[in-house]
Amino acid sequence: MTREEELLLEQVTAAHRERHADGTIRSHPAWHDLDDAGKNEAFEATVELRKMEAAMDPQGQSSTVRAVLSRILKP
Amino acid sequence: MTDELQTLAAMAGGDALAFARWASTAEPALRSSLRAFATSVDTEAVLQEALLRVWQIAPRFTHDGKPHALLRFAMRTARNVAVSEWRKLGKADQQEALEKHLAMEAEVGPITPDPKLREHIFRCREKLPGQPKAALEQRLMSGGADDDTTLAQRVGMTLNTFLQNFTRARKLLKECLEKAGVRLEEHVS
Repeated sequence: MTREEELLLEQVTAAHRERHADGTIRSHPAWHDLDDAGKNEAFEATVELRKMEAAMDPQGQSSTVRAVLSRILKP
Repeated sequence: MTDELQTLAAMAGGDALAFARWASTAEPALRSSLRAFATSVDTEAVLQEALLRVWQIAPRFTHDGKPHALLRFAMRTARNVAVSEWRKLGKADQQEALEKHLAMEAEVGPITPDPKLREHIFRCREKLPGQPKAALEQRLMSGGADDDTTLAQRVGMTLNTFLQNFTRARKLLKECLEKAGVRLEEHVS
């Protein structure tokens, strides 16, 4: 994996996602720039990262759960 | 199943924290169920959309009396969102690949946090060098609310430096856990 691909992968592991005008969640632009091997690697890295995040959070919430919760609680 | 019914009742009553507790146990199985879609759609976006839909539908959800009814419903929702997104991306012609995706059965069952992982990860986090630790802390504090460009600016890094430091933090944490005898793969369903 090249350095540029590693940077793309790391962006994809983040839970932050933009929204479409109708409120649905958009895919990360960096995801589209990864090849299939990079997409698979990003998936597995995210699986591990979310597990670590949940273990580090007092409520056991990963950044995915926190992002969704934040969306729900948004007035 | 009593717990599940209580959770559903709380969610139907608008208890977002009850939803978050349920989502925390459901997330690993849900994410795992999307593995076959990893090269076809952005599974993080699909998973978040599916969780939002579960929250929206919870007040009208009818329990079928079998274990993990809400999780099974969430898995179907996640797969439907994935297929819908796949079609939007113009991949609808790949019917054979889609059927292969849908044929893959995911394990159904919530996953509870492993106490050994929690115990070790705090020690490993403390050992991280300054810059990787700063990048990790930013992502943790943000909880998906901000993009990486914003997080990088907060710690005075360029986006590339921030991402490199985050990669380092993630890899150092994993190495530290493995040295302590904790393998993340063993805890992923």
